Amino acid sequence: MAVTTAAHPAVGHAAHAPTGFWRTCVFSTDHKIIARQYLALGVAWALAGGLLAGAMRWQLAWPDTAIPLLGEIGPDTYNMMVTMHGTIMVFFVAMPILLGAFGNFLIPLMIGARDMVFPRLNALSVWTFAAASAVMLASFFVPGGAASAGWTGYPPLSARVEYTGVEWGLNLWILALALEFASFLMGGVNYLTTAMTLRAPGLTLFRMPLVVWQQLVAAMLFLLSVGPLVAGAVMLLLDRTLGTAFYAPEMGGDPLLWQHLFWFFGHPEVYVVLLPALGFVLEVLPVFSRKPVFGYRWIVWATVVAGALSFIVWAHHMFISGMDPRLAMPFSVTTILISVPFAYIVFAMIATLWRGSIGFEPPMLWALGFLTMFIVGGLTGIFNGSAPADVYINNTYFVVAHFHYTLFSAVFFGGFTGVYFWFPKMFGRMLGPRLGHLHFWLTLICFNVTFFPQHHLGLAGMVRRVANPLQYDALVPLQGLNVVSTWGAIGLLVAQAVFVANVVVSLLAGRRAPANPWQANTLEWTAPSPPPHLNWGRDEPVVHRGPYEYSLPGAVDDWLPQDRPPARAGRRPGTT
Amino acid sequence: MSSARLHPNYTAVWLWLLALLGVGLAASLLPGGRVVALAVVFATAFVKALLVALNFMHLRFESRVIYAIALAPLVFAAILALALFPDFVWHGPPR
Amino acid sequence: MSLRADARALPGVSGPKLAVWWFLASEIMVFGGLIASYLVFRLGGTGWAESAHHLSMPLAAVNTLVLLSSSYTIVRAWVAAEAGEGRALRLNLALTILGGLVFLGLKAVEYTTEIAAGLTPGAGIFWSFYYTMTGLHGLHVLGGVVVNVVVLATARASLARPHRVELAGLYWHFVDVVWIFLFPMLYLS
Repeated sequence: MAVTTAAHPAVGHAAHAPTGFWRTCVFSTDHKIIARQYLALGVAWALAGGLLAGAMRWQLAWPDTAIPLLGEIGPDTYNMMVTMHGTIMVFFVAMPILLGAFGNFLIPLMIGARDMVFPRLNALSVWTFAAASAVMLASFFVPGGAASAGWTGYPPLSARVEYTGVEWGLNLWILALALEFASFLMGGVNYLTTAMTLRAPGLTLFRMPLVVWQQLVAAMLFLLSVGPLVAGAVMLLLDRTLGTAFYAPEMGGDPLLWQHLFWFFGHPEVYVVLLPALGFVLEVLPVFSRKPVFGYRWIVWATVVAGALSFIVWAHHMFISGMDPRLAMPFSVTTILISVPFAYIVFAMIATLWRGSIGFEPPMLWALGFLTMFIVGGLTGIFNGSAPADVYINNTYFVVAHFHYTLFSAVFFGGFTGVYFWFPKMFGRMLGPRLGHLHFWLTLICFNVTFFPQHHLGLAGMVRRVANPLQYDALVPLQGLNVVSTWGAIGLLVAQAVFVANVVVSLLAGRRAPANPWQANTLEWTAPSPPPHLNWGRDEPVVHRGPYEYSLPGAVDDWLPQDRPPARAGRRPGTT
Repeated sequence: MSSARLHPNYTAVWLWLLALLGVGLAASLLPGGRVVALAVVFATAFVKALLVALNFMHLRFESRVIYAIALAPLVFAAILALALFPDFVWHGPPR
Repeated sequence: MSLRADARALPGVSGPKLAVWWFLASEIMVFGGLIASYLVFRLGGTGWAESAHHLSMPLAAVNTLVLLSSSYTIVRAWVAAEAGEGRALRLNLALTILGGLVFLGLKAVEYTTEIAAGLTPGAGIFWSFYYTMTGLHGLHVLGGVVVNVVVLATARASLARPHRVELAGLYWHFVDVVWIFLFPMLYLS
């Protein structure tokens, strides 16, 4: 234990806390500032991604009419929108917000550390992400426009310039993703090393809050799965620029290789996005049920098992790719298997709520919204994961509905769970609860109006990435569903204005947040709101129990913080 | 903070590495069965890699956590390689 | 020294060393992906051995020798750092850096010869893999040389904290291990 009983190196510098705009706001090494930087970038990209989605939905509902502010768009532009919407949402919204912002903010605070173990590496990671953002943004403005080969970038479409007409846009897309990967690799190494070496005295691994576990497993998944895609992306870039043969069948290559390399990463990636959201919900449910979380250790094991399984399910994205059909059965089996640990976690969430003293504050509403919507998404996943069914629904809007019910649940329902819960800690102000309720209900309703009809559209045969559904006679009678979906999407976008208004008003004039407005047990609530540089004063917390000691029988309060020393009465000194 | 107060004999390890390199080169250059030559070449490569990993990289003396971190990616990379066999080595099911 | 769930932190494992091993794990996946792709393409294709015939096996064998020996010198540098022997530290680091530069130099000679003969990356699937695998590896060698130069330039700090040399060595050994496999896969098959 020699390494970590010494004070964190940063403490020695407490007397020299950085001052000045550049050191405190721009190039800060403080994990809380870096979290804000990730959050700001992620929110900015969310606006872009959302507007792209709005434009796409307009085109689908009223094809070949002028989209407001954009005019009429053709299929090439539509392809570019589809591509960038997906790329932005996964890599520039979900990851920076769920992992970059919340991982950075929460991990040191929840383990009782003063900062990450490598603060300068942390700063480098967010600045690398900013560079990735700049490159991705630039790709919109180069001749030929931004990437348009789908967020999945399949060759030959992505490998030959003449197929998309996009040259620099796709090259910059690859570069931006490479920088983004580097940024999150640095972050992941930081999170894992910090949690492994800087936990407060008494904070054993099984006393860590579940959200920390989820962030760590997500970091491991990313770290171990991104490598083959980096290799594949290098190959794609070289095919485009140097004329290499990797994905060119006429030269001995094979486009199918990309699909394997992409999805080997792509599947763990969706769990990289999902796990932090599960973590937020698992933190909020006990607090607003005033009950311990159900089956803590089993949730940890289920997460680890799901993470491991996520490496052997990837080809369920490729059932209709022309890959060897003998791969279909094993990958269907593993895909159905992976639903088991996630189902356990969902049941554990429900069991946590069971007979709890439920408080319907906004964080809890969002958590319940996640739970219900994710169950819907999870159920459709079972159809998608079985090869015989998937042969019919792959590449249709049924898949789009599935992954929006799961991913939107994770990123937005889960993300807002985290935002509403930890906003007081991050910014020192309470968010207005009534606007919070309004934001939730509008989002929930509009989300379902947008995506539920897409199940029907998919089953009826509407395929993805088509700019004008009316060109297919069979889809013309279903166009009403597309219109309904678009109205839902417009509502969804507008509903977010409620949130923006809430944030602005709260930051300027909201009620000042106490240290622990939710009466929660975990360590971040023992620091002031917001925590100062180095998080705590002279003494770091010491942990005496797990994070979910709510409503203990016979106790006066229905909560018991992790760092409160045990009662002395009736005990021999030295026992805990 | 260093992990090993114990040091293997690095010079001996280096000499073994050179010897194994020689054996591999010899196997590839000398006439003989191609399969045998390849087997020798790759066997010596594996042994060299193990020698470097266990001794120079100190895996022999590190905690099980480090072992796990080193081993997990090898397992996953192997899974990927094996899963690619049906499509790229066997070119699909027999027709 | 095991990961006990009731332990507060991992005894005996430093943060920086953990970080380097996590980083190496991700790098193993990068090269693993590339090598797995090469492996299956090679096993499933034809004409690869003929293409490989154009490679200069002697140059690559020398490079292998150089890289193996530079792994040796960097571990000796670490031993010197732990023992506080400044001269031995600097000498061995310099030899390691020299080894890296020789490797890169010989690779450059190989590349220029091959390209001059019209064997460019676009010349066929074997050459695509050859340039990508050795090129990516070469970039990693270059990165390692830079790291080692920094460690040498700050040798006094390294004497005070020898684990810096150990960590630089871990990365360097990884680069060596990758080459240990690339050499037979490309040149001896």
